[in-house]
Amino acid sequence: MSSKVMKLDEAVRNNVKPGDLLFIGGAIHASPSAAVAEIVRQRINHLTVVAILANTSPLVGEGLVDKVLTAYSMTDEKRSFPLQRARNKFNVKVEFKEYSHFDIALALQAGYMGVPFMPTRSHLGSDMMKYNEDIQSIDCPFTGGQIGIVRAVVPDVGIIHVQRCDAEGNAQKWGTLGIDFEGINASKRVIITTEKIVSSDVIQRDPNRTIIPGFRVNAVVEQPFGAYPSHLAGCYDEGLAMIGGMQDEARWEKYINSLVYNVKDWNEYLENLKQASSPDFLNKLRIKNPLFSDPVITGI
Amino acid sequence: MPKDYTEFDQMIISASRLVKDTDVIYTGVGFPIEAAILAKNLHAPNCTIVLENGIVRASMFRLPWTTDTMESQLLAEQLTSLTYVNCLAQAGYITLGFMGGGQVDRYGNVNDHVVGDYYKPVHRWFGSGGANDLMSFCRRTVIILEQSKRRFPEKVDFNTCPGFFDGRPNRRKEVGLPPDNGPVAVITNLATFTFENSEMTLKTVHMSCGITPEKVKAELGWDIKVAEDLSDTLPPTEEELQVYREKIVAARRFERRGRGASMR
Repeated sequence: MSSKVMKLDEAVRNNVKPGDLLFIGGAIHASPSAAVAEIVRQRINHLTVVAILANTSPLVGEGLVDKVLTAYSMTDEKRSFPLQRARNKFNVKVEFKEYSHFDIALALQAGYMGVPFMPTRSHLGSDMMKYNEDIQSIDCPFTGGQIGIVRAVVPDVGIIHVQRCDAEGNAQKWGTLGIDFEGINASKRVIITTEKIVSSDVIQRDPNRTIIPGFRVNAVVEQPFGAYPSHLAGCYDEGLAMIGGMQDEARWEKYINSLVYNVKDWNEYLENLKQASSPDFLNKLRIKNPLFSDPVITGI
Repeated sequence: MPKDYTEFDQMIISASRLVKDTDVIYTGVGFPIEAAILAKNLHAPNCTIVLENGIVRASMFRLPWTTDTMESQLLAEQLTSLTYVNCLAQAGYITLGFMGGGQVDRYGNVNDHVVGDYYKPVHRWFGSGGANDLMSFCRRTVIILEQSKRRFPEKVDFNTCPGFFDGRPNRRKEVGLPPDNGPVAVITNLATFTFENSEMTLKTVHMSCGITPEKVKAELGWDIKVAEDLSDTLPPTEEELQVYREKIVAARRFERRGRGASMR
């Protein structure tokens, strides 16, 4: 067995360090929820998080995040209990650096490309530039007019959840990709959580689907339902998400304890979900009518 | 016969009429996606709908409860990335943007950030998300939102998505935005507005819903310019209402509390 295949706790312990700039993949679809819960469990703090539409609340509310690079977050503590909690209970300020969604994608694209910035027509003339020095407008050297630029973001560590990956870390993902490709390829260290570890042969018969090659990957974790409660294309539908409902300390503690502290790992959390509702709770989320594509033909 | 639709139904139906059969539409969640899917079920079956996370669909799909769901992904023509769909838009291939917004001002600038000081806001929204990208890139942008004086100040405190700035000519070009793009209409539950010389202009009033021009003006933060050909908003046709009820109302997953769009 490859040394890259490991349990989630080990993958996180080895690769996520206090103070890291952390990329969290998934955007509504396919969030690496299990990995986020494990970071909370290990209480790895002073993180800077870059993500779009991923659930970063457990990290923020537990006081582990110093800074968020975001396009869409409630930055007002009056309306965000996790933020209130970070500030009051943990004395963590939590700074926000605001972009547009495409700006975030381009910051990671620049990181993935190994260049200091990317040009764009996003954010031009917007007041967002006044509060974020990493999005600017410059004279275009070629056309004469103004062109926006976004400074590269190079995460210390990135995490995505995928449908399948081999033991070497060749990871394949389908469905909507959000900013997963740019984010994970920009990241210096890479954790892949996967529904299933498959043989390399499966990967090699459809290599265009590989989102990041094995040599770039540090850890591979097999974690069924690792994206719950988000949906995962070809695997399962969304579960009941925690929308609101944790706007006070008592409810927050109930939530975070059930998600993290009262369980030893994600599998126990999933078991508890089943016990709380029904044994086939997770199976009911699985897709009912799988559709198969025509095979992608390779060969010589 | 008493009317059996609300001013919000009128809003969504009026917005849907702005979709052309040849349009490629980049749409946000909520009222905008409802209007886009309604159009696809009515007069614009060949339009392509693009959703931010990387969904490109020419084929029909049921109204999803949010942009990215199992169903909105299922049997799409293309599943790709947020980067890809924004590149399509930035390069000029998306003809129509449909979005909501926190506030809209006299010159079509949209605020999705703060009322008051950025660091000590009186009110705070979630930020741009993809709205700035959408309005910067799409050839025509339509803003669809509930109208109130609070949502329509003369000048926004924070310009998240520039429309026409202070209304002076060429402002979009000066900052580097594609000069021919920008907002073309604002559709609310009270009225429809277009832009004349970069200024929001009252075009039609939802008279059949009992709305008066005075009511429209009372829910705006400045003395609105009125089109010379101001008229009543065309009420929903029977076909529009029927398809709206079958394809939009019936597919809504969550009731919009206090918003009055009909549920049945």
